[in-house]
Amino acid sequence: MAIQDIFNAVMEFDGERTAALVREELGKKTDLSLILNEGLIKTMDEVGRRFSAGELFLPEMLQAAKAMKAGMEVLRPHLSSGMGGRKGTIVIGTVKGDLHDIGKNLVAMMLEGAGFEVINLGVDVGTEGFLRAAEVHKADLVCMSALLTTTMPAMAATVKALQEKHPQIKTMVGGAPLTQGFSDQIGATAYSADAPGAVETARKIMAGRVERTDG
Amino acid sequence: MKFSECLSEEEVRQVHEASLIILEGTGILVRNEKARRIFAGAGCRVDGKTGVVKIPRTVVDQYRQAFPPSFTFRGRDPRYDRTIPRDGPIMITASSAPDIIDPETGSQRRATASDIANISFLVNELPGFDVFSISTLAADAPQGLSSLVRFYAALKNTVKPVRSNTPNMKELEDVLALGAIIAGGEEAYRKRPIINHHYCPVVSPLTMDVESTEAVIYLTEKGLPVYGTICPNAGMSSPMSLIATLAQGNAEFLSLAVLMQMVRSGSPLIYAVLATVADMRTGNYAPGAIETAILQMGFSQMARYYHVPSGGYIGLTNAYTNDAQSGYETGMGATAALLGGIDMLNMGGLLGSLMVFDFAKVMIDNEIAMMLKQLKNGIRFSEADLCLELIRTVGPGGTFMDQMHTLKKMRTTAYLPKVATRDMKERWEEEGRIEIGSRALREARLILARDNPAAFDAELDRRILSRFNGLEAVTGKGIPSNAPGKN
Repeated sequence: MAIQDIFNAVMEFDGERTAALVREELGKKTDLSLILNEGLIKTMDEVGRRFSAGELFLPEMLQAAKAMKAGMEVLRPHLSSGMGGRKGTIVIGTVKGDLHDIGKNLVAMMLEGAGFEVINLGVDVGTEGFLRAAEVHKADLVCMSALLTTTMPAMAATVKALQEKHPQIKTMVGGAPLTQGFSDQIGATAYSADAPGAVETARKIMAGRVERTDG
Repeated sequence: MKFSECLSEEEVRQVHEASLIILEGTGILVRNEKARRIFAGAGCRVDGKTGVVKIPRTVVDQYRQAFPPSFTFRGRDPRYDRTIPRDGPIMITASSAPDIIDPETGSQRRATASDIANISFLVNELPGFDVFSISTLAADAPQGLSSLVRFYAALKNTVKPVRSNTPNMKELEDVLALGAIIAGGEEAYRKRPIINHHYCPVVSPLTMDVESTEAVIYLTEKGLPVYGTICPNAGMSSPMSLIATLAQGNAEFLSLAVLMQMVRSGSPLIYAVLATVADMRTGNYAPGAIETAILQMGFSQMARYYHVPSGGYIGLTNAYTNDAQSGYETGMGATAALLGGIDMLNMGGLLGSLMVFDFAKVMIDNEIAMMLKQLKNGIRFSEADLCLELIRTVGPGGTFMDQMHTLKKMRTTAYLPKVATRDMKERWEEEGRIEIGSRALREARLILARDNPAAFDAELDRRILSRFNGLEAVTGKGIPSNAPGKN
């Protein structure tokens, strides 16, 4: 059961084996959607279920996402545009003045694991940086994070600039000192309190089910 | 008192060695250009492309010689100055929470300048606290005046030393100007700087930031009191290993400490940390974990190795209310740190992983602070206090209750809590089985209903308000009597 082997390799956090097995299936002309859905995508549902149940810890979730990504990279060139390759493009960064990026990187990795195209801009990103990246990568969603309470105002400026120039691009904000109230105040599309919530919210936004979150 | 130590002398030396290897081999990413120049000038290898600074062990050894053994916090009233380790353990409120539990409604909201005024007055009156680190932010402060508003509201209402940070140089200069007005001029301020600055310039792993590093250099050049806190979070920003977190955090402390000595030799330091282990089930921050205390004990041991005062944020809690979790996390963490030889604890008033201030919590923490000080006193031995003559006089089967000796000593021998209950059960039930949060809030309300003896006189207040455009008078409003803790 070769497809099951791909699934197992991801669940054992073995990216190299995942990639090799995907390559093998491609050689055997196995149905692409079978490799994609049963071999790779399904692992993330299983990981999500086991994470929620407390069986898997966060680093295990990240390792599984990495292994899955290794398989996806082999598979992606063979997929047609309609085949679930592209769930949406997300630009993410920590705002100007802030060097704290653990939480933001966590969100970025989990978004990648969930199948989004993620452009991680790193730390200390100004409004211009977010705008340029959103334009270049044709982003659907821009995610901003802050840990320092003093850098929160920088978010308001970026959200405002994005709305003025590209009203179709959605925004999501997060970080320890943030609240739904702050998110509403600065006019962000959505706020998420934690990383799994951010993935869930991103899914909803991409599906067009979120115009604005309300607290 | 003998301290509890996790490591042998040899192990401490090996942690020091490991830190030197980290500093010399891996180095520190220094994002502040001025700091890179200072490191380069002192003989460190600076990579112009990456900004990574490698600090040779000879440089660490050289500048380590200049570490002074004590640090002084100064307040508006010199009687409240505190020098550690001599006056330790000193207790400082935990600080800069964005939110407060509204004492009237019981719900969480953004904190304001008026809240800071209230808290400052309260901390002024609570004997457990030695230094007021400004507990919250002020959401109502005009843009660009956040630090000024916070320090003004704090300094106006306490004669104790005030401590906090500033986000940029402009706000730092405003705050220093405020200090000079209060001190009666710049010269007077230089002699008695009453603002005690604190930053987290090192972002783990092994990175020095731009703004905070700039502030530390500036203040150190001027000889003003400043220190930093090192905050590795094992599993996230340091390895998932207590000893590795100790070694990396120690390297981070050394990088900041030697930088300060390069700027000005003999600059006072505090070896302050907030080291944690992330909860890997979710990645959540866990300052209330017992490992925070274990690591604090280790870092205190390292501080003794370098003969510098030891401190940290300790006795923190992840709990959102004054429940059993809040009590045992604060109590166990702070007690372990004290037994490990800490000189300074940032521990008062915050719930929910440093995110929200609560009046009841600060009252409870005041009692914990008093108990910790009592614990540190331990049992003092003296021939007189053995009371052999008194024991002979009272004799077998007698009572000590009617002895003058008891009268003389009863108010000082034991710490007498006000928030903790020691009533008989019937009395406790008659009073309505009041839980600790309500009792604590009741005590806070009583204090805040009084006049504040520490408040600025009207003339000084006028001078301050006329100096700064946009700064408005701030007054605390006390706690209304219809608050949840009324009963």
